[in-house]
Amino acid sequence: MEQLNLTLPLPYLSVNRDGRIVSYSALADQWFDLSNGHIKSLVDAESINKLGRISSESGMEPIKLELNMKTKENPLILFDVYLQWDADNHAAMMLLPKDSSNEELIEKLMNIQYRLASTDFELLEKKDELEQVLRRMDELSGPFIPLSETLCMIPLFGDITANKINTISESCLQSVFRGNYEVVLFDLTAVGEVHADGIEKFIQLVKTLNFMTGNVIKLIGIKPNLAKELNHHHLNQWVQFNHSLKEELSTSLHR
Amino acid sequence: MTHIETLASCLLEGDPDKAWACIENYPKSSGPDVYHNLMTPAMRHIGHLWETNEITVADEHLATATCDFILSKLSFGLGKEPTAGKAMFLCLDGEQHYLGLKMVDSLFQEQGWETRYFGPSLPLEYALQTAEKWKPDVIGLSVTIVYHLPKLKQYVEAFSQLPKKPAVLVGGRLTDLYDLRPYCSEDTVILKDLPETEKWIQNKETGGQQNGTTESNPSPPVFER
Repeated sequence: MEQLNLTLPLPYLSVNRDGRIVSYSALADQWFDLSNGHIKSLVDAESINKLGRISSESGMEPIKLELNMKTKENPLILFDVYLQWDADNHAAMMLLPKDSSNEELIEKLMNIQYRLASTDFELLEKKDELEQVLRRMDELSGPFIPLSETLCMIPLFGDITANKINTISESCLQSVFRGNYEVVLFDLTAVGEVHADGIEKFIQLVKTLNFMTGNVIKLIGIKPNLAKELNHHHLNQWVQFNHSLKEELSTSLHR
Repeated sequence: MTHIETLASCLLEGDPDKAWACIENYPKSSGPDVYHNLMTPAMRHIGHLWETNEITVADEHLATATCDFILSKLSFGLGKEPTAGKAMFLCLDGEQHYLGLKMVDSLFQEQGWETRYFGPSLPLEYALQTAEKWKPDVIGLSVTIVYHLPKLKQYVEAFSQLPKKPAVLVGGRLTDLYDLRPYCSEDTVILKDLPETEKWIQNKETGGQQNGTTESNPSPPVFER
């Protein structure tokens, strides 16, 4: 093992096929503990296999690889290693420590990633909240109102969507089953838009009520635009139209 | 390409959406299964790509950040009302490999534990301070780099002095490669992987035996350089 007389701005090692260090530059001696005379004592245990495999496959072409190395000051530090075999079966190695400015960039990247992640999760949280509010609104959009022993009313509020009808169906069915009603009124006065899947669910609900209780089901407060929409769905076999709350109340009270 | 390689390439591209889609396409969907059979092998594959000189450490960092994001997303909304106990998780001082630890943290959350997750590189004094104040039932440690191993003993010893005697768990890639017993105390539980960790949590809940890995590994001659 001899020290080269050449002034080189980077640590330089020449290593034979067995990994013995044949020659080294002054800087290599300054940075690394070369007393062992073997490349293995400079490379981190888990990088040795990489060095062995990659260098043996390289032929005579110069290659570049990353290795974790042990310097006098740092027991584990990343290097770019440039390596080339010569005709005498010696590998010339130039060792370039990874620029630490890289680390800074990586740290910044991580911070940005972290911030994005937390924003994303805040949004997800807001979405959860919003969904809960919507569900709550749906729950409150079909209150059950018993008007007399035999008459009850369920006014629907807002747009008729599948979600809304699903949400109110259960409590609606339970309330109707609990009483001995003969007539169930659905008041559609406060209904805005009607969605196709919403009306389907609504028809299902009406059918269920009809089958299970045998009640007469009446739709009241139907506005012209809604009438058009409902007309497509052939509701008349399940429900009665053409009634108003006023009429219903007076028949009910005068019985 | 296998599922694992596909995920690895999405992570290396730093594309969280694609990686997330890859996770969603994975047929088995339970948290531990995705962690153990998909994400861990994908990150190991990325490590292998570095060893074969196909990627650089910078690529690995990007993949790690992306994987971290996916883990956060997977564990989002888990364990709203923790009741099982308190557990804190940390990597030894200087240890930057935290993804496995994060998975373990999620696993505990999923099982209804209140957790504190400190991620990479937590100096012993901070860990001790928190442990004294917060009084966890479990302290989980992770170590990946051989060079950090000697510190393990210090941590384990310091935690065993705590008045509340928390269970100390040790995990990480090295548990598979070396016998970590000499670096631990008698009560330390060494957990090789996520299924073993899951089993430990379940045993803990039913009050069963808590030994972790009992047989010691034959130690490859790595320290004999």
